[in-house]
Amino acid sequence: MDAKSNKLIDELVEPTRIHKSVYTDSSIFELEMERIWGQAWIFIGHESQIPESGDFFTTNINHREPVLMIRDKEDCIHVLHNRCAHKGAKIVEERNGNVRGALRCGYHGWTYNFDGSILNIPNEEGYKDTGFDVKGSCNNLQPLAQSDCYRGFVFATLSSSTPPLKEWLGGAIECIDNLCDRAPEGEVELAGGILRYDHPCNWKFILENLNDTMHPMVVHQSIVQAAEDYIKTLPEEATEHRSEAEIIPPFGASYTNFENSGITGFPFGHHYDGGKTSIHADYTVFPAYHEAMMQAYGEERTREIYSFNTHNVLYYPSLTIKCAIQNIRVIRPISVDRFVVESWSFRLKGAPEEMLQRTVLYSRLINSSMGMVGPDDLEVYRRMQEGLVSSGSDWIEYHRQYGRDKELGDRVVGGGTSDLDMRTQFGAWKNYMTGNL
Amino acid sequence: MSAHNLQEIESFLYLESSYLDQPDLDKWVDLFTEDGKYWMPASETQKDPLNHVSHIYDDRVMMEIRRRNFVHPRSSSKNHLTRCSHIIGNIQINSGENVDEINVTSNMHVIVWYREEQQIYAARCKHILLKQEEKFKIRLKRVDLINPEAPQKSLVVYL
Repeated sequence: MDAKSNKLIDELVEPTRIHKSVYTDSSIFELEMERIWGQAWIFIGHESQIPESGDFFTTNINHREPVLMIRDKEDCIHVLHNRCAHKGAKIVEERNGNVRGALRCGYHGWTYNFDGSILNIPNEEGYKDTGFDVKGSCNNLQPLAQSDCYRGFVFATLSSSTPPLKEWLGGAIECIDNLCDRAPEGEVELAGGILRYDHPCNWKFILENLNDTMHPMVVHQSIVQAAEDYIKTLPEEATEHRSEAEIIPPFGASYTNFENSGITGFPFGHHYDGGKTSIHADYTVFPAYHEAMMQAYGEERTREIYSFNTHNVLYYPSLTIKCAIQNIRVIRPISVDRFVVESWSFRLKGAPEEMLQRTVLYSRLINSSMGMVGPDDLEVYRRMQEGLVSSGSDWIEYHRQYGRDKELGDRVVGGGTSDLDMRTQFGAWKNYMTGNL
Repeated sequence: MSAHNLQEIESFLYLESSYLDQPDLDKWVDLFTEDGKYWMPASETQKDPLNHVSHIYDDRVMMEIRRRNFVHPRSSSKNHLTRCSHIIGNIQINSGENVDEINVTSNMHVIVWYREEQQIYAARCKHILLKQEEKFKIRLKRVDLINPEAPQKSLVVYL
């Protein structure tokens, strides 16, 4: 990348406004794929998806890089390019499953060990004296430049120069810790299936919406009113044990409530809102769960784990998690105006079933393409995608509480209704895009 | 189950889908028993609506809330002209798990006009019906899309 193009990119993002082409220009999207999605640690999957040797899971690291996560016979997890070393065919086509013996290409039958090393090339003698080294490492399924796992969450990056995973996660690592610590056994496992939701708009809109606390009372007003109006007509006992009655109304919380939840930003674009409190803070603590937590951690530590209550945590750019709900959303861009969101649910090991049931209920109620909240969020993203082509203006603004963010050690903190999240994301965007990683 | 003739069941399924097409959700919700459920699983082999995520799993309370949200003027995703057309076929009456239940399976194709685009949904449906005071009531409508695992577009109507 040359200095001139870096200067042009730099000029697209000002401290309080962003040029619309960041959302609409497909050549900028391609650069984002190369420089952000090609350098950041991207969430691949969770180790609980592949408990046995030969278990695999496939995904894409960005719009075009097929990858394979597989557990080998020594219990090591590998993240490999899902591409045969011979002619480039994808080695594994299924989303998940188990391979017995060896990975085998469905075209010419080249086989590989679970760590990606080449096992056998059929009719090998044809390569004799051709200059082709049948034992060469270039015949292996190539690993991604780096891969690592933190408390079961597997990430990988296409870049060898990106700092190690723990350094990259930085202070925001406390949120993965909190999610896992909410399990009496200190571990979570994927459970209850995955929802996939097609978003015909730019991938950044959903990330910018995560800590945008000025929108819920507007975008979600209808469902909050519909729920409250109907619940009012019911006898109290009809809703007192319903999680829906706890989950939906806080979407209509006041500006003051959201302001008080705060936003915390970190290097590399990570941030969260909430902490001391969030819209999830008043959920019922199920007695059987509380008992399991108390037994595992004792009173003081249990209170400490509950008291860290975030709303949405972003690990820029591919993963957002909800510690208090135990679900995550995984972002996968497709083009400048299309991406897919996957909602995954986790079981807290050692917790009663009702915890997973609430997680699953939350996902279908809020995150489903047929849910009460997701379609209204997507609607406003689409209106932005359609509105930004307007020649009425070339810029969008993000001034809220500009100049009021406070640095606090490894993080920046600010008001819950501020644009600190945008400043955090676009600071990272600039660094990735202009080579200042 | 032979006591229920196919024509009678067919007419009921057509009536149900016509309420969705019109739409007349007041009448549609009223077709369900008090413990009735509408379920669209997220996986073809899904047995469990509680421990596994679904696209929709609504009881009467959630149907009532959703119905109010569909017509709320501030629900931006519903500010679009939305129409749908159901075709029901291959109707089969099976023996129910309980004596009073009638278990009906059918194929359903729905075309939905939403946000200036036609979307096509194909599903295998399972209705568990009861006969109460000479009228059919729905205890369960399970809609198994042929592509439940695929990335889905926003859907702001019941299928």
